Amino acid sequence: MPTPGVDLIRAMAAGDRDAFARFYDRYAPLVFPLVLRIVRDRADAADVIQDVFWEAWRGATTYDPGRGTPEAWIVMRARARAIDRVRAVRRRGETFVAPVDEAAMAEPAGPDAAARAQDRQLVATALALLPAPQREVIELAYFAGLTQSEIAERLEQPLGTVKTRIRMALARLREVTPA
Amino acid sequence: MSHEPFETFAAVYAVDALDGDDLAQFEAHLPTCATCQATVREAQETLTRATLSMPPQSPPPTARAALVRRVAERRERRSYGWLRWAAATAVAASAAAMFASTQVAVRYEARLGQMARETAAVRERLARNEAALQEQVAFYRGAVELLRDPATRVVDLRGQGTESTATGRMVWNDTAGGHLVVAGLRPAPAGKVYEAWTIAAGAKPAGLFAVDQEGRALHRVPPETGVKVFAVTLEPEGGVPAPTGPIVLASK
Repeated sequence: MPTPGVDLIRAMAAGDRDAFARFYDRYAPLVFPLVLRIVRDRADAADVIQDVFWEAWRGATTYDPGRGTPEAWIVMRARARAIDRVRAVRRRGETFVAPVDEAAMAEPAGPDAAARAQDRQLVATALALLPAPQREVIELAYFAGLTQSEIAERLEQPLGTVKTRIRMALARLREVTPA
Repeated sequence: MSHEPFETFAAVYAVDALDGDDLAQFEAHLPTCATCQATVREAQETLTRATLSMPPQSPPPTARAALVRRVAERRERRSYGWLRWAAATAVAASAAAMFASTQVAVRYEARLGQMARETAAVRERLARNEAALQEQVAFYRGAVELLRDPATRVVDLRGQGTESTATGRMVWNDTAGGHLVVAGLRPAPAGKVYEAWTIAAGAKPAGLFAVDQEGRALHRVPPETGVKVFAVTLEPEGGVPAPTGPIVLASK
């Protein structure tokens, strides 16, 4: 029986480096796909992973099990750091198109079907089970770091519609990923 | 306000997309509402499960090696790393208070003070350089503007006496005045200053200037009609109404 994540973080808080190594080995492969998906570059993603886990090591004492699972703790940190990186790139004025996964949006068909299917496999997540309009708003918010107003502008939809879609998307995600 | 909008805000907040007034309202509400706290937490757990449904993939091994090395560094080093991070955040002040009694705090405050001094010095130097650069750009732009006017002439000035290696060039326009560029002139000795003159019937003061370490100067001269000669003399600090000192530069 592996050590529960909560105990690993507690041990890390006490300065146990071995616990940190085990924590990394367990969670890094789980959050790396998320980071990679957001920053879209392996070297950048590796940098972000280092930052995230370094902060986890340093911030282990602040973890409060009452406020979320270890998985959520590390996933939220990883997502935030990755988005920071993407936003910094955008601020530098580099032409950066928010990474909406077109392949995930479209149905695989035609000559590109094989390539799309491959992309699709990367994002073969619970997200794939959402209706396209809901998937789209989650993509833009969670993976591209756009705010509700930015999403409304980009999709040329009323703000209220965007908010409702996000709420519905989360409700649907909850159904398809039972705790 | 009914609670219903907050339920939507909670979902949007959980995906970090809430902004504007909605965000302000929700952030004021959230600390007071256990229901919304639970909604946000639940949404975050849902997003976490969705994220973890992606096929796992290991980061490059170099990332792990670097982290393990970093974590294994001596405890003091770990503190320094943490302090560097703290210094860069607003946490710095409260962190300093927390560690106030330790030796770490002493080093930390000393370092912070030093950083503040260095930062101030750099900022001051930058501001000075920027002001100087802008002045130069304005000067050259003025000279170029003048050159567009066919009535503008360019007059060379030659070094005189002990300053025979000095050179000058005046871009002159009777109605707009002139731009004087000087090179190779030694900085004026203490208590002295260079004064420019426009000479028509008599010599008229045309302003004081100093040269930089490399012996260069840019100087603007007010307009004057019928000028035949331009000259620069070395005069007592504050300048004089009529030339008294040696001529260092003069046009023919």
